[in-house]
Order: sequence, then structure tokens, then C-alpha cells
Amino acid sequence: MFATVFPQLIGLCTGALLLTSALMVWRHSLLASIRLLSVQGFALAALVAVIGLEEGEAEVIIVSVLVLLVKGMALPWVLAHETRATTRTDEAPRLNPTAGLLTVALLTILSYVVASRLLSGDTSISAHAAPIGLAMVLIGFLLLITRRQAGSQLIGFLVLDNGIATVAFLTSGGVPLFLELGISLDVLLVVVILYVFAGRMRNKFGNTDIDQLRKLHD
Amino acid sequence: MTPVEAGMLGQVALLAAAVASALLVPSARWRSRVSGILCALLAAAGVITGAIALTGGRGALTIPTALPMDPLVLSPDRLGGLVMVVVSVVGVLASLFGIGSARVASASRTAWASMAVFLFGMQLVPAATDVVSFLLFWEIMTLGSTALLLAHHATRGTVASALVWYSAMSQLSFFFVLAGFAVLAGATGGTGFAALATLDPASWQASLAFVLLLLGFGGKAELVPLHVWVPRVLPEAPGHVAAAMSGAMVNIGVYGALLVCVRLLPNGPAWWGVLIMALGAVSALYGILQASVASNLKVLLAYSTTENMGLVFLGLGASVLLRGDHATGAADAALLAALLLMVSHAAFKATLFLGAGAVARSTREMNLDRLGGLGSRMPWTAGAFGAAALGAAALPVTSGFVAEWMLLQALVHGSRVGGEVVSVTSSVAMPLAVAVIALTAGLALLTFVKAYGIAFLARPRSAQATAAREVPLIMRIPLIIGALLVIGLGLLPGPLTEALASAVGPAFTPDVRTIGLAGVDARGIDVVLDPTTFVALAALVLVPVLAAILISARRHPTRVSPLPWAGGGSRLRPRMQYTATSYAEPLVRVFDDVLRPTRDVEVTHVGESRYLVERVHVEQSVSDVIETRFYRPVLGLAQRFGVLARRAQNGSIHRYLSYSFVALLVVLIVVSL
Repeated sequence: MFATVFPQLIGLCTGALLLTSALMVWRHSLLASIRLLSVQGFALAALVAVIGLEEGEAEVIIVSVLVLLVKGMALPWVLAHETRATTRTDEAPRLNPTAGLLTVALLTILSYVVASRLLSGDTSISAHAAPIGLAMVLIGFLLLITRRQAGSQLIGFLVLDNGIATVAFLTSGGVPLFLELGISLDVLLVVVILYVFAGRMRNKFGNTDIDQLRKLHD
Repeated sequence: MTPVEAGMLGQVALLAAAVASALLVPSARWRSRVSGILCALLAAAGVITGAIALTGGRGALTIPTALPMDPLVLSPDRLGGLVMVVVSVVGVLASLFGIGSARVASASRTAWASMAVFLFGMQLVPAATDVVSFLLFWEIMTLGSTALLLAHHATRGTVASALVWYSAMSQLSFFFVLAGFAVLAGATGGTGFAALATLDPASWQASLAFVLLLLGFGGKAELVPLHVWVPRVLPEAPGHVAAAMSGAMVNIGVYGALLVCVRLLPNGPAWWGVLIMALGAVSALYGILQASVASNLKVLLAYSTTENMGLVFLGLGASVLLRGDHATGAADAALLAALLLMVSHAAFKATLFLGAGAVARSTREMNLDRLGGLGSRMPWTAGAFGAAALGAAALPVTSGFVAEWMLLQALVHGSRVGGEVVSVTSSVAMPLAVAVIALTAGLALLTFVKAYGIAFLARPRSAQATAAREVPLIMRIPLIIGALLVIGLGLLPGPLTEALASAVGPAFTPDVRTIGLAGVDARGIDVVLDPTTFVALAALVLVPVLAAILISARRHPTRVSPLPWAGGGSRLRPRMQYTATSYAEPLVRVFDDVLRPTRDVEVTHVGESRYLVERVHVEQSVSDVIETRFYRPVLGLAQRFGVLARRAQNGSIHRYLSYSFVALLVVLIVVSL
């Protein structure tokens, strides 16, 4: 029964991941992006849970709960808290939405081409979905280089991280619990540091536009 | 544990103690005292260790590493012991002098901690028996000296720019040394000096390594064209730091060159000798020319170091060349002369810089044109500085004289063995070298007459010079020790020369003996010098004459009568005296083409008439030709490249992220192709 539903569930979760990533490029509002990030976190947790059910390992289920707590709740909450404190909550990206979505399409195609070369020997269902993870990494990078606000940078960074996690789960059937715990804590730490940093920036410049950060001082 | 091992471990312990006291003692006064004494003890441990190694003591410390190469062993041989002694004696003097420097920057935590690190690195470079530990201590020495200079950047703005020059040139030297050793290690497959010494000196790798190492060590020894940092850095350093750098650190450069020519690659081809001689001759001439026209006392001393190191390398080069010609006696004498020059230079240059430090402390003035009359105000400093200046001018009864005498003897006797001309190269090179030394000695005499005469004699030319007072006892002691060393080594050259001769074995075996009252007998070239006997004989003649003159003067006291017409001379003012600039004026005119001075004469007329002059302002500055003609264009080129590179590196985070993104995309596309 589960074996027949499994491919659809994997497709559903990865589709949600890709869709949320693409929508983040399209939307300008920071709060909307954060909601999308939260949805993405839930989708990632669901993906991990599906893989865990298919493989029948309790440890992977625990990891999925951890992902849900950290990526679906804790990080979006921290970001939303930071964003509400800023005066500007919308973004003026360097790329207009149409061009952004076109670029997303191109990056997705590229990742499918690359993945078909790299994973040509692997015919499992999860390996088929792996290009989505690669596409998310590239989309996260795109967000990093096109967004100006420090908050958007954080979102781009987290999408990139989600992409890496997706590739890891899909290709190797999940990472050990300890490793995942370490990675999650690292990400949480980076976000907290950047959160403090953004707060400092806002105090100093009145906004969090990182274009201001061009000169080195000693 | 042998005494040498105990000595080296003692240096490590004293380094730790000195750094700890520099960092932990809160009051600046006490910090100077405690750290200064610990630094002096550290250097004294170096003196003892080096002296034991020089007299044949052995011992080895192994630094444990996990690196796949020959073990890192510290074990000074006789030559290393000699250099360790020379460097450490200067270290003792500089540390003692430093105790008295009350200036806040000199007594800071950074200054004392880095002073200890600097001394430690310098003292252990000669103990290294492999490339890695040599470079390790070399870098410790360089970093220590850089931090030591950095401690003064808060007081003067020019320190920062001088430090940039120093760091850049130090790294350039390090690069050359590293590259040279890398070539040797690549050719022989080992990193220990014993392994490197197996290379055939006639091979091309040996020649390439020789040129690279010569440039690297020449840079540390302040040779032209790598000397540009010297006239910038040494004037910025306080007296004791400049003494440690110019009196001790340059010897490490000489040690490196000796290591190459005596230990690693003896019996090199003749052109090596010619190259070293040329480098030395150019440095000697250029250095003393710049020194003779300099009016800043420390700049003068700094350029004089370049001159003396040039002479050292001239002797070393002559030794390599003569050895190739099988004129062994003269070759050994030339090498001994180089070592004597190194030792005597360390003694008098350290004393001179300490003297300059004392003057700077009392007057806060280094411009000779504004000094004068310090002889009666600072008699101890003046006496020590005067003795050291005699040494620098290579006048008799000083160590400088013995050294230059030995060098000239070696060169004069070098081109012929038993009446036969040994080779065309040396019969051309030796007379030229003698001419260079003659010109250098003449200019050195002028230079130091100026340095001593303008600063210490005549009337004070400024209020600061008038108000100068003698420095405290703790600063006088190292000055006096230094002056005694200069005179002592000059009066008793026999034992010193024998010790030096034992240091260069077994590759070189100079035959020298002590003769008469500690005189020297160089049997290889059949020459004898016995200064003490000479002085005793001269005293036998002169004492009765002087006594007779004094007695007759007592009987006929001279009458002092006011001059009826003195032409203005009866109201002699300080401004009527010679200044350093006017004293050097003839020289500047003679060597106009080399020095290229810029003169600025500004005449202010009295308001009513153009025929009456109110004041004349003359300013003359001599720039370093090598810096303006060679370094500036290279720097300009680098600057232009830097401007181009800044377009790619504009500081924008987005720009850098884009680079990474594009790189990632390119990699992915290449992978999928």
C-alpha cells in the first residue's frame, strides 16, 4: 500500500520545496518570504518523514521531527521577529520578478541536466527527485546575490541550506542523527549571529541594506 | 646534558621569563627594569653558550615535529658559536641601555616582549643545523624586530611607512633565502645542512641557489640594492633597538653568507667571488657616500652600516676568488678580515647607535645641524662615541683598523703567489678592490669627523643642545663597555684572530699566531701587526716629549690679550660655525652625479630695498638614487595593477557572492558536458 503511494508522496514534497523556492524569488515582501520558508521547512520535514517510513527507521523519523522544529518553526520565528522590528519589510531586488522566474526555470533545467549525468546509474525514486535539491541550492544562491536586505540574505542562505539537506536526504537516505543535530545547531547559530548583526546594522545605518557595507575600517 | 644544551635551554627559559615579566609587570618603570635585566640575562646566556661552542663545546637540542623531513636540530658549531657571541654581546649592551629609556613607548609591554623574542631568534639562528629550524628562527627574529618597531608607531606617524618598507624588504629577503634553500634541498634531497653540503658547487643548481641566497642574506646585511629600508627604519627606532638591529641583526645576514661560502658550498667557481666582491664594493661606496652627506645622525650611522657590510662582503668575495686561484694564504686572510670586520663593526656600531640614543634622549634632536657642544655636557657619551667613531673611521688602536689592515694585506698579497700572477681576474679585481677600500676609508674618516665634530664639539646650535645633560648610569655602562670593546679588540687582535681562525675550520685553516703583546702574525701572507707594542714604543717616545712641552709651558705662561681687531671674531656665535651640511658641501659637489641633491635657496629681502637681505633659507636634501630610480617605478607598476584589481574587488558582498555563484555554475556546466 505505502509502496504505491511513496512515489507520489516524494513528488508532492519535492514539488512543494521547489514551488516555495520559486515563489520566494517572485515575492518581494519579507514576511511573505518567511511564511514560504516556514512552509518549505514543513515540506522538508514531511519529505524526511516519508523517507523514514519507507525505510522503516525510527531514527529518521526523529530527524524529521527535529527538522520540523528547527526549520519549520524556530528559524522562521526568529526571522519574523527580526523583520517586524525593521521599518522596511519589502525588498527591492536587483532582478524583476519575471526575469527572476525565468532564471529559476533555467537553473532548474541546469540542475536536471547535471543530475542526470551525475546520478545516471541510480534509478531509485528518491534519486530521481534529487535535482530538486540542487535547484534549491542554486535558487538560494540567486536569492543571496539579488537581494539587498540583510533579512533576505538570511532567507537565501536558509533556502541554500534546505537544498543541501534535500540532496543529502534523497541521495543517501538521510544522515545520522548526530550529524543532523550538529548541522541544525550550526545553522541556528549562524542565523542568531546574523540576526544580531542585522540589529547592529539597523542601529548604525537605520536600515539593513548590505550595499552600504563596502569599506573596510581598521 | 652538555653545557651547550644547558645554555640553549637556559635561553628558552629566560625568553619565557622575559616575555612573562614584560606582559605581567604593571608599572612601566619596574617593567623596564625587570624585563631589561631578564633580556640582558637572555643575551648573556647567548654569550656563554656561544663562547662554549666557539671553544669546541658540543650539544644538540632536537625540536620534535611530525613533518616528513630531516630532524630539526639546534647544535651550534664553532662558526655558529662565534656569531652567537657577537650577536649576544650587542644584545646585552642594548638590553642594559634599554632599561634607562624612560619613554613610554620603549617601556611598553609590546616593546619589551618583542625585544626578548627578537634577541632569542637572533641568538638561535646560528645554532640551526637544518633549513627548517634556520628559517624558523630567522622568522622569529624578523617578527620580533617588526613588533619591536611597531611599539613606537603611536608616538610618530612616520613609523608606519617605515615599517611597511621593513616588512616588505624582510619578506623579500626571506623569499630569496627560502627559494635558495629550496633549490639546494631539491637538488640534494635533504633539508639538513650536512645533506645540502653534498651538492657539487659546479652544478647549475648550486649557482642558482648561490645567487638567491646571496640576495636574501645581502638584504638582511643591508647591502645595495636591498638596503632601502635601512635609512627609513633605523632613524625611527630608539637607540638600543637600532643598536640591536644594526649591530647584531646584520651579522645574521653575514652568517648566512658565511654558511653558504664556508659550510655549504666551499670551493665555488671564480665568478661567485667576483659577484660578491662587486656587490660589496658597490655597497661600501654607495653607503659611505650617502653617510658622508647625511645630516641626520641616525641616517648617517645607518648608511655607514651598509658601507661596513659592503667591506665584509668584499673580503668574503676576495676569499672565494683567491681560493679558486689556489692562493690559499691570502684567501684565508681575506676571510679572517671579513670576520674581523664583522666583529669590530658590531662593537663600534652598537656603541655609536647607543651614543646616538643617548643624544636623542638628552636633546630630542637627531639633526646634526642643530646639535653641537655636547662634549662638555655629556662627557661619558662623548668619550664612548668618540672611541667608536675612531673604530668606524678605521684609525689605529681600534678594532676597525685591525680589520681593514688585514683586508688590505690580503688583497695586496692576493694577486701573486711566490711572485707569479695567479689569474687575470684576481690581478684586475684586487687592485680595484684596494682602490675602493682606500676611497671608502677616506670618506669614512670625513664622515665620522663630521659626526663627532659637529655633534660633540664647538658650540651648541640650538636650545635643546644647550640644555643637554648626561644620561643616567645604567645607560652609561653599556656605552663604556662598547667603547672598551672597540679599543680592546684593536689593542689585542692576536687572541681574537686565533679564535676567528678556529671558527672557519675545517674547510679553511688560516695559519695565524699571537705574537708579541697580543699582536697578530698572519703566516699565510707573512705579515705582522702588534698594536700594543707599537703603542708602548710610541708612548716611550711621546711621554718625555709631552712632559717637556708641559713643563716649558708652565714656565712661560701665555698672556691673553684682547684682539685689537677681530673682524667679528671676538663675538663668535654658534651660527658662524660649520654645520654638517656645509661641512659636506664639497663632497656633495664632487659626487653631484651620484647623489643628485635637491637644493632650495630662499632669499627674503628687506621691505625697503632689494639690495638688503633679511634672511636666507637654504635647504638641501639628498634622496636615495636606488629608491627613486629602481623601487619607485616598480611600486608604480604594482600600484597600477592594484587599481585594476580594485575594480574586481570593490568590497560589495553581492559582487563576491556573484563570483562564487558564477564559479559554481561553470563547474556544474563543465561537469554536465
